[in-house]
Amino acid sequence: MTGINLPAPLLISLPLAIPWIAGAILALLDGRKRGPKWFAVGALALGFLALLNLALVVVTSGPVSIVAGGWPHGIGIALRADSLGVVFAVVSVGVMLAALIYESITGVYWRTFPAVLLLGAGGLVGVFLTSDAFNFYVFFEIAMTSAFVLTGYREADRQVRGAFLFAIVNLLGSTLFLIAIVSLYTMTGTLDMLLIAQYTSQMDVASLIAIATLVFAAFSLKLGLFPFHFWLPTVYIGSHPSVAAILSGALANIGAYGLLRFGGSIFNEVLAFAAPVLIALGAISLVYGALQAVSRRGVSEVLAYSAIGQAGYIMLAIGIGGPVGFLAAATYAVINSLNKGVLFLTSSLQGAVAGAAFAIGAFSVAGIPPMAGFLGKMTVFQALAQLPPGQSAVLIGLVVLGSAMSILYMFQTYQRRFLAQEGELAVSSAWTHSIPALVLAALLLTFGFWPEPLIQASSAAGAAVGLEVANWP
Amino acid sequence: MIVLSAAVVAIVFAAGTFLLLQRDLFRIVAGILTISNAATLFIIASGLSRGQAPILPLDSGPVSDPVSQALALTALVIGFAVAALLLVMVYRLYLSHHSLDAQAIQTSERRSAALQRREGDPYVEEVPEEEIDEDPGEAQEREVTTP
Repeated sequence: MTGINLPAPLLISLPLAIPWIAGAILALLDGRKRGPKWFAVGALALGFLALLNLALVVVTSGPVSIVAGGWPHGIGIALRADSLGVVFAVVSVGVMLAALIYESITGVYWRTFPAVLLLGAGGLVGVFLTSDAFNFYVFFEIAMTSAFVLTGYREADRQVRGAFLFAIVNLLGSTLFLIAIVSLYTMTGTLDMLLIAQYTSQMDVASLIAIATLVFAAFSLKLGLFPFHFWLPTVYIGSHPSVAAILSGALANIGAYGLLRFGGSIFNEVLAFAAPVLIALGAISLVYGALQAVSRRGVSEVLAYSAIGQAGYIMLAIGIGGPVGFLAAATYAVINSLNKGVLFLTSSLQGAVAGAAFAIGAFSVAGIPPMAGFLGKMTVFQALAQLPPGQSAVLIGLVVLGSAMSILYMFQTYQRRFLAQEGELAVSSAWTHSIPALVLAALLLTFGFWPEPLIQASSAAGAAVGLEVANWP
Repeated sequence: MIVLSAAVVAIVFAAGTFLLLQRDLFRIVAGILTISNAATLFIIASGLSRGQAPILPLDSGPVSDPVSQALALTALVIGFAVAALLLVMVYRLYLSHHSLDAQAIQTSERRSAALQRREGDPYVEEVPEEEIDEDPGEAQEREVTTP
């Protein structure tokens, strides 16, 4: 499959423009009504298809880029779609689409919900497709602001408090990120990420390490890595299932993507220098998340702590670095998004159909073979095998321990949630409510049995991380 | 000049951090806004030069960097939008709890979750565990002792 090769400006701006324009129109309509609701689903689906087409073009025939306003490259503000960006964009928008369909089927509660979700999707696509460091920050803020609003969805007091905490903590993170970007601008004199990477590759590690630390803190906060995870349980536990799916399946990807993009190209040498610290943090996060998840009872609590553990796997792979490490990180992030989408979208449903979808997601988190999660774990093992034997033995041991605990907590949860207790009446939710989760679960199964497309896409993505400097014309 | 602007940014950032660690929601918002203003100051300081216009003059003289000024403006606009959103959230929390104290809001939230559970309200979404364990009676007693 190669995709329809439209002219570059159209190819790259359609996935951005469709959700935005539709979001602006929807802001004027009542999203609870049937017409606007399904219009939103249609528009996001159209944007998703445009993105899928862009992804096919990029993965098969290389990056596409345009410069706004016809300025020469390096002066004007550029949009650039490479394999890493499009893979993350497709997965994130896919999960958001599933969440929007779930909400449309179960009933939208806010008139602005579809509009905010679509505007957020537009911002998210922008984050993954921009090649300008400051625009990265602007799109990041657009996506995050929409997420702050969405976290308060349904307006239970707990949810509004969660949204407030989420907003404060993440604003602090994005302020740090802004300071880092301006420092990079002051040092290199450009905001174009390719040019910045070219300049920083000739700089000393010592002069970059402070900026790299700020960037690392900003994105780890987003991803929910161990020392930065404190906000995550409160927000995920409180929020509505579809919003939790968006937060952990789509927005957390900004963290993984940012760490790969900035760590893999701009701070390439700092990454190699700081690898032991990153690997240690990844390992701590993995064990901490798993231990906490085992000791929790509520579904969304277990999933929230499990998200911290899963962030650890991604961090481990990024810390190892190199083509194999980046491939593992990209593959794991993609599969993790799908897992979280399935699990959160079924977390408040009941009955056999929802239970089946949940079980597939649970198997996938645990990394049991017929599911895609196995593939993710395998790529991480491959990356770990690159380390010196002593270290790799310890880390593989920890990863195996983490996986074993994830089997335990996922099935404890399944048992509590979907197997009716004695004397209890099992009330099934309408099967239509499980459709979005079932589609995502089917994808997990498909990628488990037929992993070629996923491996092809994520190895292209992994290669795009390191090769950015070499690709410069 | 560099030392002076660095010192100003540091003091504003520190003041913001201090406010952020308070229990009063309004102070938290003021804190995060102060911190984002420290970032704006940092941007301006990074392109600081004396007396030149940030556009290309007709005679070839020195110019100030227009990019950092554009960045500062954009950051201010984003900060404004987010400030509005945060204040709306604080107002919403105030409406339902009649308090701006983070601790008091948490207590009152647990109490209402426990009450809802006791009344068997079917629309209660999953309640986190620590709230389930809370005995409604006990929560009410605590409310009495809290001033």
